[in-house]
Amino acid sequence: MRRIMIDASKCDGCKNCTVACMQAHRETPGTIYDLDLTDIRNESRNHIEKMPDGSYRPIFCRHCDLPECVMSCMSGALTKDPQTGIVSYDEKKCGSCFMCVMNCPYGVLKADTATHTKVIKCDFCLLDNAEPNCVKSCPKKAIYVEEVSL
Amino acid sequence: MKHVIIGVGAAGITAAKTLREKDPSCSITMISTDTHVHSRCMLHRYLSHERNEDTLSFVEPDFFETNRITWIKGAPVRTIDVEQKLVCLENGSSQPFDQLLIATGANSFIPPVGQFREANNVFGLRNLSDAQAIRPLSDQADKILIVGSGLVGMDAAYAFLEQGKDVTVVEMADRILPIQLNETAGQAYKDLFEAHGCRFLLGKKASETHMNDQGAIDFVSLDDGTRIDCDLVIVAAGVRPALECAQDTPIDIDRFIKVSDTMETSCPNIYAAGDVAGLSGIWPNAMKQGQTAALNMCGIHTVYEDRYAMKNTMNFYGLVTLSLGRGVAEEGDLVLEEEDAHNYRRAILRNGKLDSILLQGKIDYSGIYQYLIKNQIDLSGRETDIFHLSFADFYGVKDNGGYQYQV
Repeated sequence: MRRIMIDASKCDGCKNCTVACMQAHRETPGTIYDLDLTDIRNESRNHIEKMPDGSYRPIFCRHCDLPECVMSCMSGALTKDPQTGIVSYDEKKCGSCFMCVMNCPYGVLKADTATHTKVIKCDFCLLDNAEPNCVKSCPKKAIYVEEVSL
Repeated sequence: MKHVIIGVGAAGITAAKTLREKDPSCSITMISTDTHVHSRCMLHRYLSHERNEDTLSFVEPDFFETNRITWIKGAPVRTIDVEQKLVCLENGSSQPFDQLLIATGANSFIPPVGQFREANNVFGLRNLSDAQAIRPLSDQADKILIVGSGLVGMDAAYAFLEQGKDVTVVEMADRILPIQLNETAGQAYKDLFEAHGCRFLLGKKASETHMNDQGAIDFVSLDDGTRIDCDLVIVAAGVRPALECAQDTPIDIDRFIKVSDTMETSCPNIYAAGDVAGLSGIWPNAMKQGQTAALNMCGIHTVYEDRYAMKNTMNFYGLVTLSLGRGVAEEGDLVLEEEDAHNYRRAILRNGKLDSILLQGKIDYSGIYQYLIKNQIDLSGRETDIFHLSFADFYGVKDNGGYQYQV
């Protein structure tokens, strides 16, 4: 499967990836120049934590080999595609129970801030049919896509 | 290899999926009393008319065809012939098996209070068949009494309040959701439900009932003499394992079907998973047990390890709560609490390790806490940071890009 690989030592915390993710998943049309960064409906699927020593830790969905989120989903909304390896989320099926948030051992998932009815989950930008937008926007090549074996 | 699975809940379906994945050529038969695959955690959404039989399903509509599974539905199992390796159905037919999984789940427990067990308007809420029987009555009912304020009771209360019904909840404990929440966190939900018209009677027990000549209970008396008029009663007083098919067989039962750490029962080649095995009543655990059983059924030796079960999330009226652990502090524990307009948080640390945590409001990125509790990670020196920890504090990346904890 293809995975967004992370070299945390190269990350300088610019958050281009975070803004790119917000732009990629915004509900309204528009360019990054009119993206409202304060609108709680524009949420990023990735986030970066800053450490006390000044280093950065990018937290991105791993589309895990054995995804704990899928193994907690009671509605069938979260599934892992056996071919692509992508763990996808169908918000129409979701029962908003948030057991997936509880079960993701890496603390990647969250409930949407505006309505608390859906999960904010990386979709690998599959609709764009190209490299994930976060990867395209990283100036340091701290994140890159690589084929990995399961 | 012929596999038979009894039950199409979380454990049974996960097992079937796993069997097909690991053994493309095996034969799989599933037998269930259920006529629809459905998520029991969403039955209240059926009562509130937000979902129907199809949208309660947690599998694709073509699940059985795609996975080449023969599904015998609406067919209760009478017994299991362990010697002959046969599942004998109530309808007189039988199914031979090489490997069997019993994943029959549990049924509502209706306590012998007054005429609860005889009346025709008293229901548990466990199976779609319960919800299907309740809905025509609840659509007509004005006054609905719910006995028990656990997750099932509150789910039912939500559904009926959405329908504009007069809802009363009776609870023995002095607070609602007493197993999952403490006083403060429970009060937040109580306020929300009351704002939507719910009436709570706490610290009280149903003790007497009055049945009319149509066989329906029209009022219930509590232990303090309070009389509650009702058209419909939902009893949410817990569940009992659905053991019927294993009774009077050589399969070892002690309240539940006893299983080894490979999910095998006392009889070789017969496995049990989910509520019937009594290890945990939580959906994710049922899935893992079903998966573990299935791997062993295909000859891949696998031990059920992820046993942590003191976990829950809930979401009523947009207020979300995560609750891990018993939430009961012992002498010498460090108890931390935080509160603001939208959030309440409480953690119990014992000997530098996390014992319990409750997050109400924002639960973003909180998946790490189950890991910290389950693996009893030493948090000495950073106990007071507990609400601010993230995976970044334990950050490790494997060669294949997967994360791993560095502790």
